[in-house]
Amino acid sequence: MRSAWPTAAVFAVVLAGGLLAPHDPVAVSGLPFTAPGGDHLLGTDVLGRDVLSRSLTGGAGLVVLAALAGAVTCGIGVACGLVAGWRGGWANRVITAVADVLTAVPVLLVALVIAIAVPGPVAVVAATVAGGAPLTAQIVRDATRSAKSAGWADAARCRGETTAALLVREVLPAMSGLVVAEAGLRFVLGLQLACTLTLLGFGAQPPAADWALMLRENLPGAAANPSAVAAPALLLATLACVVALALRSRRDAEVTA
Amino acid sequence: MSAAASLARAGGVVLARATATAVVVSAAVFAAVSALPSDAADTRTGGRASAETLAQLRETLGLDAPLWQRWGRWTTTILNGDWGRSLVTDRPVVDLVAPRLQATAVLTAVAVALAVPLALALALAAGTTRPRSARRWAAFATAGAAVPQTVVVAVLVVVLSGLLSWLPPLSLLPPGGSPAGRPDLLVLPALALALPAAAWAGGLLGGAVADAWSAPHVRDAVARGVTGWRLRTRHVLPFVLSPAIRAVAVVTAGTATSAAVVETMLGYQGLGELLVTAVAGRDTPVVAAVGLIGALVVVAGTALADLAAAVVEVRRDHR
Repeated sequence: MRSAWPTAAVFAVVLAGGLLAPHDPVAVSGLPFTAPGGDHLLGTDVLGRDVLSRSLTGGAGLVVLAALAGAVTCGIGVACGLVAGWRGGWANRVITAVADVLTAVPVLLVALVIAIAVPGPVAVVAATVAGGAPLTAQIVRDATRSAKSAGWADAARCRGETTAALLVREVLPAMSGLVVAEAGLRFVLGLQLACTLTLLGFGAQPPAADWALMLRENLPGAAANPSAVAAPALLLATLACVVALALRSRRDAEVTA
Repeated sequence: MSAAASLARAGGVVLARATATAVVVSAAVFAAVSALPSDAADTRTGGRASAETLAQLRETLGLDAPLWQRWGRWTTTILNGDWGRSLVTDRPVVDLVAPRLQATAVLTAVAVALAVPLALALALAAGTTRPRSARRWAAFATAGAAVPQTVVVAVLVVVLSGLLSWLPPLSLLPPGGSPAGRPDLLVLPALALALPAAAWAGGLLGGAVADAWSAPHVRDAVARGVTGWRLRTRHVLPFVLSPAIRAVAVVTAGTATSAAVVETMLGYQGLGELLVTAVAGRDTPVVAAVGLIGALVVVAGTALADLAAAVVEVRRDHR
């Protein structure tokens, strides 16, 4: 698990970064779009707030939201995949049909419609489920199918275990690597959708310190103080890449093992 | 079975499945749009009208019928070429959608034209036989695909427009909405769409290329002394044709929908930007029309990819 350390470090910095902020992230402390230097290490934003403080504070909410969305999506996808793969027959057909339709409807349209009906964070979770759960369900279904035909599942059935116990205690642990990878992928999807909805005006609202909101607010001043856009952009990119690459090295390790 | 017969059979299956999906998807889009709270009667009157006026307006606009009836009416009118009128501006939806559709189609075409060669180059790099550089390129593709679209746009604007001042920060189209006369306005949005798509498709195809390298005919060609460009285009690429076509279809559908973010950030007046404003204004006919177009692009892309895969398969079986 060598690959877990950089990921853990990034998450620690993102979640606890607010403690290191030199200024109040929502208080005006200078002129708008001041270039970096002096009291403001990364300059100021559209309203004259400290970019460094806002960058340090602005990731926690996003990460928590994306993690929640990823966990819910992965949970629903795994549950559907287990049922479809194990029961087969009509359960499989219904779940596959629903998944096919959900994949054909653009995620963004679903996300936008949900965002109007419910608050932004709920919309992010719901849209991540709509966009990600079908893919997870498909992969878990295929894995469950091959597990069902493996000998150890039959052995457990002969011991008299109930289907639910068998799925949770035998089948699920056997595909734990797969489930972790799926959870990570859905975390990234949740992060992307959270950014998108915020950018379109349906997510985090001003004056909150939020990386995606900072991109939206500070893009017009990109020429005056590029770091007001570059700082949140680089932090978001680092977060997404670290998670994706950690999953990758994990999968590589599993393949070579 | 003859090649033509099996091809016709495969085509029939693909067409039937695409039609069924299109019908279900149109219902899903309509249901989703109908779920928008506070309908157009509210929006038009600005929330100040009495309950009576609202009820009357709902009746005139046909908003009081049951959902399935409204869906039936909507699909039949759409099939007849009548897309209805915007509930907010009262202009025909076709007039609103047509110029936007053109702008987004041009943008998507340029983005896909940029993304395909980039993705193929990345796939060839990631699927090479040298494991260290293969792993590095595959990791690059994974990381590139994970970066949120918003970040890509922001970085491109900061670098190309802010630091280098090569391009205008906003891609505002001239009135009339055709991007044909201003190719410079297409650079930022097309790059922003193409780069993540290329990373995603390149990572996906890298696996297929790696499989192709270990295929007997490629090893045979290597043994015969075929190298370099000729080996890659003649022996490796044909082998990944079917997954490549699928990836291109998915990328096209993906860029058509993720265009909303890029268009909104850059002020490019396309279909995605229209969707966002229409959703914000609860303009149901416009949202439904744009949503349906987006969904049908996805369905058509999948069907074309299935068809192409069937053609490749049939040709292989009947050689």
